[in-house]
Amino acid sequence: MASLLVNEMNYNTDIQAAVQKIESSLKHTYKLSTRTIALLLLQGDKEIHQLVQEKENSYAGIQKVIQETSVAFEQPINYVITLKRQELTNSLLADAVKEGKVTDNNRFSEILNKLTINPFTGIPILLLVLYYGLYQFVGVFGAGTLVDFLEADVFEIYINPLVNVWTARYIPWPVVQDLIANDYGIITLGIRYAIAIILPIVGTFFIAFSIIEDSGYLPRLALLVDRVFKAIGLNGRAVIPMTLGFGCDTMATMVTRTLETKRERIIATLLLALAIPCSAQLGVILALLSGKPLALAAWVSFLTLVFLFIGFLTAKLMPGDKPIFYMEVPPLRMPTIANVVSKTYTRMQWYFLEILPIFILASVLIWAGRLTGLFDLVVKALEPVMNLIGLPAEAAVAFLFGFFRRDYGAAGLYDLQQNGALSTEQLVVAAATLTLFVPCIAQFSMMLKERGLKTALAIAGFIFPFAFLAGYVLNLLLKMIGGI
Amino acid sequence: MLKKMRKGGKCCGSDTEPLELHGLKKVVLVGNPNVGKSVLFNRLTGAYVTVSNYPGTTVEVSRGKGKIGDEYFEVVDTPGMYSLLPITEEEAVSRRLLLNEHPEAVVHVVDAKNLPRMLPLTLQLIEAGLPVVLVLNMMDEAKKLGLDVNVSSLQKRLGVPVVSAVFVKGEGVEQLKRVIKENGKLVS
Repeated sequence: MASLLVNEMNYNTDIQAAVQKIESSLKHTYKLSTRTIALLLLQGDKEIHQLVQEKENSYAGIQKVIQETSVAFEQPINYVITLKRQELTNSLLADAVKEGKVTDNNRFSEILNKLTINPFTGIPILLLVLYYGLYQFVGVFGAGTLVDFLEADVFEIYINPLVNVWTARYIPWPVVQDLIANDYGIITLGIRYAIAIILPIVGTFFIAFSIIEDSGYLPRLALLVDRVFKAIGLNGRAVIPMTLGFGCDTMATMVTRTLETKRERIIATLLLALAIPCSAQLGVILALLSGKPLALAAWVSFLTLVFLFIGFLTAKLMPGDKPIFYMEVPPLRMPTIANVVSKTYTRMQWYFLEILPIFILASVLIWAGRLTGLFDLVVKALEPVMNLIGLPAEAAVAFLFGFFRRDYGAAGLYDLQQNGALSTEQLVVAAATLTLFVPCIAQFSMMLKERGLKTALAIAGFIFPFAFLAGYVLNLLLKMIGGI
Repeated sequence: MLKKMRKGGKCCGSDTEPLELHGLKKVVLVGNPNVGKSVLFNRLTGAYVTVSNYPGTTVEVSRGKGKIGDEYFEVVDTPGMYSLLPITEEEAVSRRLLLNEHPEAVVHVVDAKNLPRMLPLTLQLIEAGLPVVLVLNMMDEAKKLGLDVNVSSLQKRLGVPVVSAVFVKGEGVEQLKRVIKENGKLVS
């Protein structure tokens, strides 16, 4: 089919000859034409080479043809072929496309576009987006107002007492009572965390994030921070997985696929696991620290420092080429409400369905752990570590929760603070250490899937001790400057 | 999510095909990142996959069922690709799909505003002997930029069906379905 056009695609006599030679030695059938297979072989496509090597006896001969052909060119064959294709495209389009006058010159979006990319105006715009989108909407409204309402007005006044009273009345065994109600019960802890703390935070985050996504702001942010990211072995492209990480690090780890080199993918995975808090964690921490601007600033600057420092170090230590940056910049568009709503809804649904069983399971495990005394044992074992970073022994519980889910740990911290168990400095240290410390179970399994066992274990093996070390240093620093 | 991953096997979450789609003819959506493949997927299947305004929203293959005429098809949404020679892992995922499956139609969705950058992939798909249908999406934005695309001339030169569309508004979806149906008859 379309043979006329294929005949027009004469790349160059040498390439054409090589393609024919290779085609004639391909004996198997492929889903793609032999011509395409031959061209991909010539351009050094690793996967196709492997495929052909497995299938064809004539592979050695083919390799020879490729060798001979590539010597004949100064430029890489890929370049020559791409150029030819572009020429043909241009000639096709010369006939088919007429360029007329721009009828709808959207000046406003053009100006906005320039403002977002220029560092002098782009950074203030970024700060505005962060302040209103993240701090005010997610932190103050979602994690503050909504969580307070659900926590204090719904769960603490109605649901928890009701569940506690009912279980006490109808279930005669204290052991089973504890499974459902009281301090660590499935309903009073697991479901409460999921519905009253995590859901409003994640919901408001996903609304804000969907609007930002659909406007086309992210690729512009990528242009803006490209230079900073280059210093840590990444480039502007990595902005997208990194910002997605603030939604859910698990999701973001998968999106590191969009990065070009293996080196970038590993650096991005490490930084996501280490220094990027997920939305739930972020929301809880924003809520905890929002009344104390200095503490919030300390937490933000410490994590930014760690992010840049570790990124810089990995980039220095890991061999590999420096990435080049190219990215499509789509037009700025007005987000449509329908898409924002359905996207937020699907994400919340996905998130909720994923966390709920884990939260319930965690409640059961903690219940079993307490029953067998294992829970207290682990908390006891963590105590010296807590003391080392200046935290009270109770904080160990939050860290233990954090093993299950990042957000679960943060929610545990929320409870501690509500009980007034932590001073401001301790809160900052706990928040920072907890942010650094866990790639949760889901994120870890995604790391396994995307990066392989060795890399995933290496990353986790680095993070656990590093998080506590960083907490230790932060605690010392805060003491040195005399507290916040 | 975890469950979905395990089902997806080793690397791409895409190698397996849900049982209910087994045996259906396939329509595969391919094209550069951020051209509207996922919007089309949602329109064809009535399902929802995430749609955003930046390249790289889709990193996994999504599969769904859609009715074209009176026949059910398996519709496959793929991560964006610039060329048949992959650079990133997301591109490799899409190329692997073309290497392993036998689609009834390969719908190449392009951004009508950027044809010079998009058509080289069309040429490669045609060269690969795939049953290509070219879709010029975002025609409204192209018109605003003063671009006048002669669809029939493009169709003649390329030798494959060309459809113009604005998927976010639903324009072009019905015509594309008709073309896929007729084209399918021609091929088989």
